[in-house]
Amino acid sequence: MTMLKIENLHAEIDGKPILKGLSLTVNAGEIHAIMGPNGAGKSTLGYVLGGRPGYEVTEGSVSFDGQDLLDLEPHERAAAGLFLGFQYPVEIPGVSNVQFLREALNAQRATRDEKPLSGAEFLKLAREEAKKLDMDAEMLKRPVNVGFSGGEKKRNEMVQMGIVNPKFAILDETDSGLDIDALRIVGDGINRIMRAPDKAVLLITHYQRLLDYVKPDFVHVLADGRIVRSGGAELAHELEREGYAGVAA
Amino acid sequence: MIATAELPTNRDEAFRWADLAALQAARALPAESATVPDPILPDAQRLVIVDGHLVDHLSRAVDLTIERAAIASDHALGRHAGGQGHRIALAPRSVTTIEIARVNAGEDSHTPLEIALGEDAVLTLVETYTGAGWSNALTRFDLARGARVMRAVRVVDAEGFVSARDEVVIGEAASFVCVTLGAATASTRFDAALTLTGEGAFAEYGGALLTAAEQRQECAVRVRHAEPNGQSHQLWRAVAADRSTASLAAAVEVARDAQKTDGEQSLRGLLLQRTATVNLKPELEIFADDVKCAHGATVGELDARALFYMQSRGIAKPRAQALLTRAFVADALDRIADETVREAFVADADAWLERAL
Ligand SMILES: Nc1ncnc2c1ncn2[C@@H]1O[C@H](COP(=O)(O)OP(=O)(O)O)[C@@H](O)[C@H]1O
Ligand SMILES: [Mg+2]
Repeated sequence: MTMLKIENLHAEIDGKPILKGLSLTVNAGEIHAIMGPNGAGKSTLGYVLGGRPGYEVTEGSVSFDGQDLLDLEPHERAAAGLFLGFQYPVEIPGVSNVQFLREALNAQRATRDEKPLSGAEFLKLAREEAKKLDMDAEMLKRPVNVGFSGGEKKRNEMVQMGIVNPKFAILDETDSGLDIDALRIVGDGINRIMRAPDKAVLLITHYQRLLDYVKPDFVHVLADGRIVRSGGAELAHELEREGYAGVAA
Repeated sequence: MIATAELPTNRDEAFRWADLAALQAARALPAESATVPDPILPDAQRLVIVDGHLVDHLSRAVDLTIERAAIASDHALGRHAGGQGHRIALAPRSVTTIEIARVNAGEDSHTPLEIALGEDAVLTLVETYTGAGWSNALTRFDLARGARVMRAVRVVDAEGFVSARDEVVIGEAASFVCVTLGAATASTRFDAALTLTGEGAFAEYGGALLTAAEQRQECAVRVRHAEPNGQSHQLWRAVAADRSTASLAAAVEVARDAQKTDGEQSLRGLLLQRTATVNLKPELEIFADDVKCAHGATVGELDARALFYMQSRGIAKPRAQALLTRAFVADALDRIADETVREAFVADADAWLERAL
């Protein structure tokens, strides 16, 4: 079943074209890796799918679970099951992780006509997820990402993903800033939360190393705003050996 | 009735941002009946002041010594509230909680009040302004050695104009903490002069002004360190929506003898729309050479990245804005020590946010 279908997507920031006719189809049960040089437009793709203001779609379409994704507000996209793991998670002074995530989860549940979780129910869920990702439960009480190291921020993204339990995750360089142990924990987390026949993942990464833990079904090379090559997991190894210049040319 | 000619104008430097037109308009409206707000602290001593008069049968001041007293000020607005008023004397080492309701049905009301604390006396004080018209208060505090005041003032359910002039004298090792919340449609002017007259005195004077529509709110605070080893903090947060204006003027003055003074000013404004205005005027006048004075003054908008981050997790934009604004205001309200009072003030700020966003 098709989950995400991107067709001829063009998008610009401040009038500067960044995505230039990108097409991609992701079916339920699949993990797709997107690799590509710096500045290729990988993060832009994530932001456009998430609905970030200032990222203007000028052409093309995106359907998600049969609905027009671009027609939805960012929070409606989340409620529809989309999760965007940020390359640079944002610090929010004065708002605790617990409050933020409980608000987020209950807002999503409300949109889906589900009952809100009580404070106690939520805390139990959050503690379990933190534990599975080896994050100190004390960090749940701290303001969102404030004073977290780069690796802790990425781990916190995964805890959030575990809590909201999305259908579709776009993970933007979730592996950067992680040491080798954290990489394994995060990789296991992605597999545990997202490897399911009714879910799918778009894994944006620079390096092969995360793909050793999270085996992609497809690998795509994004360069200059387009998918220039697609293949299986072996394409990632080829990229690692030969660099983008050779493969994308 | 006070003649218009006796009031300050915007040409006076100290009143250049003041909403004096709102003050005049508030005076002109006929009085209506006003409701007395419910107390936050039902067990506290309670003073209910309606239209400038202490109403005995609504008050409950069993353990308080209240006497008539003449109270004067030369402040441009405060002096109009001068005259025969009340003086509360708190005995040395006494511990007292007082909640004051200041209710104005309309037109002018002028309320002089003086509170004197004996050595090591402790006072928790909550004040709530409600009603309409022009409420003008003059409040003097005199803190003897080691006395402590924890005061929280809020303007809620009020329209018209509220002006409050505080004159505070803080003795040796005494501490005065005041947090003010302006969360009504009334335009306001919070004026204060605090003098640290004893060694090691402590003053904290700040709050949150939330403005919307065409409203204007402002504070004008001057803290004067006269003796060594004093500490003062002025932390104000202003949130301005629509075409409103919030102005924060805060001055610290350190006399030549006031060595080792530690002064802090943090003035921050948040614009919810670009049509709103926040004016900031931090001032330092330092005549001693061994002092530490930190100050920061910034005006900005909500962090667009944080907003999108929250939205992308499922939180609708108005709610995300409310959460971020709430966090901004919390810096000031967190200074309220009493949990019940703090929660009530936070709830007032939340209610304001619900309306404004
Ligand atoms: N806010 C922005 N304003 C202008 N240009 C931007 C902005 N964000 C990204 N870009 C540009 O868009 C291009 C793609 O960036 P990005 O999507 O972050 O690439 P990648 O994630 O593949 O490294 C780059 O040329 C970058 O400079
Ligand atoms: Mg990127």
